Formats: sequence, C-alpha cells, structure tokens
Amino acid sequence: MSLNRRNFLKTSLAASTAIALPIPAFAADVLNVALIVPSPAADVGWSHTLELGTKALEAKYGDKIKVTLLENIAEGPDADRIMNKTVADGNTFLILGSFGYMEGGLKLAKAHPEVSILHASGYKTAPNFSPFGARYYQGTYLMGMAAASLTKSKKLGCVGAFAIPELITSINAFTLGAQSVDPAIEVSVVWVNSWFDPASEQQAAKALLSQGVDVIFSNAQDTPSVIQTAEEAGVYAFNLNSSMKTYAPKKYLGVVATDWAPYFLQSVDAHLAGTFKGASAWLSMADKCVIVADWNPDIPADIVAKITDVQAKLESGAFSPFTGPITDQSGAEHVAAGVTLGDDMILSMDWHVKGVTTPLPK
Amino acid sequence: MKLVFERREAASRSATLATPLIALGLTILTSLILFAALGKPAGQALYSLLLEPFDGWYNISELLLKMGPLMLIAQGLAIGFRANVFNIGAEGQLIIGAICASALPVYFPEGTSPLMLPAMIVMGAVGGAVWAGLAAGLRTRFNANEILVTLMLTLIATQVLNYLLLGPWKDPHGFNFPQSVMFPDVALLPILLPGTRVNISVLAALIVSGLAYVLMRHRFSGYQLLVGGLAPRAARYAGFSEDRAVLMSLLFGGLAAGFAGACEVAGPLGQLQRSVSTGYGYSAIIVAYLGGLNPLGIVISAFLMAALFIGGDNAMVSADLPVAAVFVFQGLLLVFYLGSLTFIRHRVTFSWQGPA
Repeated sequence: MSLNRRNFLKTSLAASTAIALPIPAFAADVLNVALIVPSPAADVGWSHTLELGTKALEAKYGDKIKVTLLENIAEGPDADRIMNKTVADGNTFLILGSFGYMEGGLKLAKAHPEVSILHASGYKTAPNFSPFGARYYQGTYLMGMAAASLTKSKKLGCVGAFAIPELITSINAFTLGAQSVDPAIEVSVVWVNSWFDPASEQQAAKALLSQGVDVIFSNAQDTPSVIQTAEEAGVYAFNLNSSMKTYAPKKYLGVVATDWAPYFLQSVDAHLAGTFKGASAWLSMADKCVIVADWNPDIPADIVAKITDVQAKLESGAFSPFTGPITDQSGAEHVAAGVTLGDDMILSMDWHVKGVTTPLPK
Repeated sequence: MKLVFERREAASRSATLATPLIALGLTILTSLILFAALGKPAGQALYSLLLEPFDGWYNISELLLKMGPLMLIAQGLAIGFRANVFNIGAEGQLIIGAICASALPVYFPEGTSPLMLPAMIVMGAVGGAVWAGLAAGLRTRFNANEILVTLMLTLIATQVLNYLLLGPWKDPHGFNFPQSVMFPDVALLPILLPGTRVNISVLAALIVSGLAYVLMRHRFSGYQLLVGGLAPRAARYAGFSEDRAVLMSLLFGGLAAGFAGACEVAGPLGQLQRSVSTGYGYSAIIVAYLGGLNPLGIVISAFLMAALFIGGDNAMVSADLPVAAVFVFQGLLLVFYLGSLTFIRHRVTFSWQGPA
C-alpha cells in the first residue's frame, strides 16, 4: 500500500481501536474504477484481457486513477451486492465483465446517474450503461482459412462455452472461412456449458480428437486446457482473447486477440469530460479491438497471402463473412446471394451454417 | 514416540466458550502477517472482513439475506447428520427446488394470481424432497451409499438446469443467453426491510429452526431418528426402523434445500439462472457442523458464516485483497476453530513406549 495520509489514518484507526469505523474518503481528483470479472484474472483468457485494458488506463492517468480488480465473482445476488459496495466506496466508473451482471448493473446505473458503467456482451442500454463486445467472427473467419490449409482429415472441431449468438457467429465464420479454401470441410462442436472448467474442456477436446478432428478452435475458454490437449496430440489449435502460444509452442495456430484499451480509454475520457453516453459498442478490427496474431509458420505462403488480403478487406469494411449465399444446416438458403447480414441479425444468430455437423442445442 | 489424543470426559465450559475468540485471535495474528507480506492495508482489510458486515442496517440486511438459505439448509442437513445419514447433495436439491418453483412463473409470466408464490414455495420444497428421496430409495432398497448418490444427483441437477435454461425455459427475448424470463411481481417474496433486498424468507428460516429444535428435543420421532442412525441394531431391537431414519433424514434435508432454492429464485434472483446457488448447499454442511448440529447453534453459525462470506467480498472491494487471500483468511478461521476445539475436547499425551 502507498503510505499516504488517507491510508495511514484508515489503517491506524482500524488497527488500534478495532471498532473505529474508517470512513471511505477518496480524493476528489482521483477516478476510482472497479473491474468485476467472473473468472480468475490469471495469465490468459477473457478476464485477463479486460485487466490489461484497465492497465492502459493506469498507464495514461497514473495516480489520477485507481483500478480495483474484483475477480472470480459469481453472477447472481453476490455480484449485485459487490457492485453496490464498489459504488458506495466511491467508484464512479464500473466495468462489468460478464453477461450475467446485466440486470444488477442496470439497476445500479438507474439508481446512480453519476456512475458510468460498461457491460460486456449484454444487450440492454441505459443513459449511463453501455454494452460492449468484440466481433470475434472477423478473426475466426481468418483462422478458418488457415485451418483449412493445414487439415488432412478435413474435419475441424470446436470446444464452445455456451451456445449464445456471440459464440455461434464465431463458429459459423470459422466454418465459412475454412470452406472458402476447401468447400468439403466439416466442423463438429462440443459445448461444455461453462466459461471456466479445465476438466470438461479437456474431455471435450479429447472427444473431438477421437472423431478424427485435426484442428481445434477453443471458443471462449479462460483456460489453456484445450490448447494443451491439442498440442499433446500433435494437433493444431487456436483460441480467443489472449495468446496461449507458450502452452503449445509447436502446434499453436494463432490467436484472435482482443485489445480493450482503446475503448476503455475513450469511455473514461468521455466520463471525465461529462459526455459519457450509454450506447452499444460492437468493436471490430477497424476499432483495433479484434487482432489476429501469433500465426503458425506451417501455414503455406499462398494461404498467408490470401489471409492478408481478406484481413485488409475486413479492416476496411469491404467484406463481411456473413455475405450470401449462405446455406444453413438443413440445406436451405438462409442468406440470399449478394445480401449481407445486418448487425441485428448477427447479434441474434441462432442457426449454424452448412458444414457444421453438430446440431445446435435447442 | 507416540502422540495420543484422548477424549476428555467433560470439556471445560469456559474453554469451550473461549474457542471462537481463540480462533479469531490466531486468525487475526496470522492474517496481519499475510496482509503485510502482500503489502495490503491490514487495518482496512480486517475492518472489511470482520466488522463491516455488522456496520449499519444495510449491511445487516445483506447478512440476513445471505444467512437465510445457509440456515435453512443446515437445519435440514443436521437432522440427517445427527442420525449418521450424510446428505452431501443439498446443492442439487436446492437446484431442483429452484427449478420446480420456477415452473409456474416460466409458464405463466403474465400471471397475477396471489396463489402463485405459495404454490412455488410448495413445489420447490417438494421437488427438493423428491430429489433427496431418490437417494433414500436407493439406500433403503439397494443399500447404495447416500453420500455418493446425493453428490452425483447434484451433477445431474446441474445438467437439468443447463438443459432447461439452454432449451425450453430460455427467455425468448434473451438472445439465447441461458436464463429464464424475469418473474412477475406475484412470484416474488415480499421485502422485509424497505429499501433493502432481504425478504421474508429469513423469518421462515427462523421458524424452521424452531421446528427443528422442537423435533430434536421434544419429539419421540426425533429420538427414533437419532437412534436409528447411530445404532441401527439397537434401534431395530427397540422396534425403530433404520430405513425410516434414512428416509426421514433425507426428506427433511431435501425439503429444506428445495425450500431454500425456491426462496432464491423468488427472492434476490427474480429469475431462474445458471448461478442459482453460489455453493449454499456445500457451505451449509460447514454451517451445520460449526453449529454443533444443534438447531440453536446453527442459527448462530449461519449468521457468522454469512458475515464471513460478505466480509470476504468487502475486503476485495475496499482493501484490494486478492480473492485467494480472502479464501486463505476464511480457511484459517475454520482451521483454527476446529483445531482449538480438538484440543479442548481431547487430552493430548505423549507416550514414550515403543510401537504397540
């Protein structure tokens, strides 16, 4: 702890008398930011990238900002209490790192108009409450192209956390990207119904391997289990959010990384200027939020050139993976030729494209 | 050298009363060192962990909210534990209770009948009892170990919950997210203290505690339960049924856990969601034993356990403690308490004779 007057007073008061109640007193010119995440922040994964985003805030504002990280907070009544507590303690900028914090966060936003809240992967908005997310599907499309160039069995696999639109779109784009290189590619999916469950993730990866899958997409896991299992089996794998290359030095296909720093900085700037406005932010490659990196050197040069080309079009907005014709699992044409799906259709996607062999849980 | 733990004939009364204080003192000392090593404000941390949960009406209301399910489930479990029937799956019974209670508001989200809430509570409690009853049936019929069966039924309950939330009970306007619709007002428990989240279920939990006390102390069936579990042969000789003890133990446990599950969805959650419980079913086992399996002791231990949980969350917010340090603190308190209790209940002697 830094030994300033406030902390010294607090510590000595509480320690010496034990019943004296230290009053949370924050210097007015320091912005207190709380980041609440559902899993341990650890060294990799979703929560880790959010934490990195707040590090950029600290780097810019220095001692004018204080970030409190609250990790491993289960969604539900406890999370609501903890959010209330952060505001009571003087935090006026909150970053809520999970969908399940939505209702509690929204109530809090309404009760405290002076507080600005960013909420990950939700769909509700309030004047001081902004949902945010990343267009992972842009990156997974490119990963699909790379995977198609390396697979021998023409069977790709995906371990998915929850069958929600965000993950479904990633899998569909991955499949479409692979089919753009080789139309015969098939993708099977295993849902583990958890964001953080190393044992189930490992089992799911093994189940895919036993089906002859030779590239695995670790879709929204906060642990390197899938990546490690694939490396041991000599099979390529990639994941989202932050690089796990150290866990799979040979067979790491790459990462669809997210950088929240630009968005967090922009939101905090707006909050400090008093111009924060609740609005949905679905961030893309053009926003420098979705980044593909750590490509495996085994990818053939002609595919690398193709990927670079498509990536440029994704960044400029000239190309969307969800441009027709797209056939769904039943074989029916879901998106007509020449039509590009709008954001609302992508955000609520509840169907798989043809080539994904596993039916969607209903 | 041999270390012998010999049970004292009677534990010192004053020492028994001092146990919590000894444990608290040791925990504070150890954690002061820990927090200092971590470079965290020790005074603020201890204040958040130990005192803040009791500071003011708002904090106390949150304490009551958290203690309700712990107390309820622990009372139900203690009946079984006293009879040596180990229901480890209260978590699953809670989940099934929450599911059964949610059926009404999920299928009638526009409902206005004032009967909805009472019906939900009954369905939740019965659902929990039926889930525990499965384990009772397997134990009395096939002699399947109830510890394993209740534990494994919890895994099944979780999958049933996942199935419903990802499938038929998913909120149709919820973008496929695994959660139900928000419940209508008639499906929600009335708030006890205006402006807080604590609802009347905490009163129900206190009433259940009173009933548990009466059952244990003043009812012949309570005695039968105790003997049936502790000494099945003696019980059979006396004409008490061991099967009945197993069945009653598990049914009471399931009833209480299912009731608690119903109160969670009809209380602070207001919908059925994946994290319907944050481990209440498991924490209640600790609460039951810390309370000495005594209905009055459980009321106190549930209150203190709730304070410990809330204090841990507070310390993360206010004193910047990492979550692992909070777990270490909570673990230290339990270990020191149980450790002190062992020394108070047992006499330790060293014997220098060779191996016997």
